[in-house]
Amino acid sequence: MTEWLDDFLWRAVIAGLIMVAIAAPMGCLMVWQRLAFLSDTLGHAAVMGVGLGLMLQVEPIFGVLALALVIVFSLSRVNSFNNALSETTLAIISHTGLAGGIILVGLLPSPTVNLEAILFGDLLATTRGDLLSLLLTTILLLLLLWRYWRAFVAVSVSREIAQAEGIEVRKIQFLMYVMIALLVAVMMKVMGVLLIAAMLVIPTTSARLFSRSPEQMVYISGLYGLASLGGGITSSFHFDWQTGPAIVISATALLLLTLAVTRVVKPDLD
Amino acid sequence: MATETLLRAQDISYSQGKRLILDRISFELRRAQITTIIGPNGAGKSTLTNIVNGLISDYSGVIERSPDLRIGYLPQKVYVNRLMPLSVERLLRLTRISSDAEIERALAQSEVAYLRQRQVHSLSEGELKRVLLARTTLGNPDLIVLDEPTAGVDVSGEIRMYQMIGELRDQLQCAVLLVSHDLHLVMSQTDQVLCLNQHLCCSGLPESVSQHPEYLALFGQQVADSIAVYAHHHDHEHDVSGVTDPHHHD
Repeated sequence: MTEWLDDFLWRAVIAGLIMVAIAAPMGCLMVWQRLAFLSDTLGHAAVMGVGLGLMLQVEPIFGVLALALVIVFSLSRVNSFNNALSETTLAIISHTGLAGGIILVGLLPSPTVNLEAILFGDLLATTRGDLLSLLLTTILLLLLLWRYWRAFVAVSVSREIAQAEGIEVRKIQFLMYVMIALLVAVMMKVMGVLLIAAMLVIPTTSARLFSRSPEQMVYISGLYGLASLGGGITSSFHFDWQTGPAIVISATALLLLTLAVTRVVKPDLD
Repeated sequence: MATETLLRAQDISYSQGKRLILDRISFELRRAQITTIIGPNGAGKSTLTNIVNGLISDYSGVIERSPDLRIGYLPQKVYVNRLMPLSVERLLRLTRISSDAEIERALAQSEVAYLRQRQVHSLSEGELKRVLLARTTLGNPDLIVLDEPTAGVDVSGEIRMYQMIGELRDQLQCAVLLVSHDLHLVMSQTDQVLCLNQHLCCSGLPESVSQHPEYLALFGQQVADSIAVYAHHHDHEHDVSGVTDPHHHD
């Protein structure tokens, strides 16, 4: 019954669809809360996670997840109620993780790991096992989003109002960090560690151009994500481009197109 | 006749590092009473409201809240990220579920019903303050905390805003905690004044506080200045946002 999953292209499409479904709501929340850079940091540090995983001879994804959780836990300790994450701290973690990871991976016997696949993703090499873990994590994340959506949106608007009116902001914030760690571990396979943030930010920015409510922005960025995925996989197939970068270029092309259109036809947003 | 006490603060102290911000503050907030915190910049006014709101938890002293105390909060500054599309209506539903009729009533009460479908980013500072005031009244709050609700609002808009706060108190029968710079404008609406400068300089009815030597030492000059402001007579009316015609944006 699932023979069609034997085709690598179908597996790639399914993996891409799952990613789009979770990237849209998470991307919006992260853009609203100015956390997009955190996904970049966790992505870069994931290279070190992969290296650690391989050294300890466990699945690289567990190495990535463990390191990401250590990072978000430390960040939530130092991050006081009102202060946004410091860009400097994030940049230091990001680049130390990337540099350390590249050295670690370089120390391993060469055929074990394909650095390029880690950095830029390898959608077309998605296995059935990858699909299953992607699906389960995404379902978990969607359930959490559904359960805490009002609180997430409230915290995005004003942490002060949210806290005063009964939302446990620190708890919500910590949950958000853990969810971002999970998201990065999952998206890494499809997009590559360097391009995760692109998929969270670019479709979201396009969607913002004509959204009037937070929820609307999520749906519209889902559509943009879908179109970018379609464009990316198609061009990857026809022109032999790498899939991850092709998806990002499609997303940017769509953003530019949308910007051009909204210049001519100004949507009434106020 | 004693009205129900909703919140009792006893010997609240708070320091940041070695700097003492609040020194043994005690007070009570009662149902249907407006309590105004006045004090110079850096007196600890916002810190004290943040403690009442539960935003700051590492204070010393005791705060007793009546069980399930519901708070509506208007912070001093609200900065909504421009990347977030948000209508006024959605902002009112931020933390609570409210019916269309409740939203309508809350906005009408703050005289901004016409802003309902507008995006929050397009509001002027005065309009935003009124929308936020309307927001605090939803969900049947026991206590409304307003941190400088009239910052960025002109004088006649300010007077109207304080009248509205009085009306809200009468209607909702909730306690109001108000942070303000200008006692002369809040005076007529206030039941209790807390004059704060790290410690509680004086507290009580507005008439008695305004005669207190510590109050005069802190505000003597400002009071004199504000009388000068009063002497200037307005020949036209502004709304809170400084716009003479409230339907200007429609």
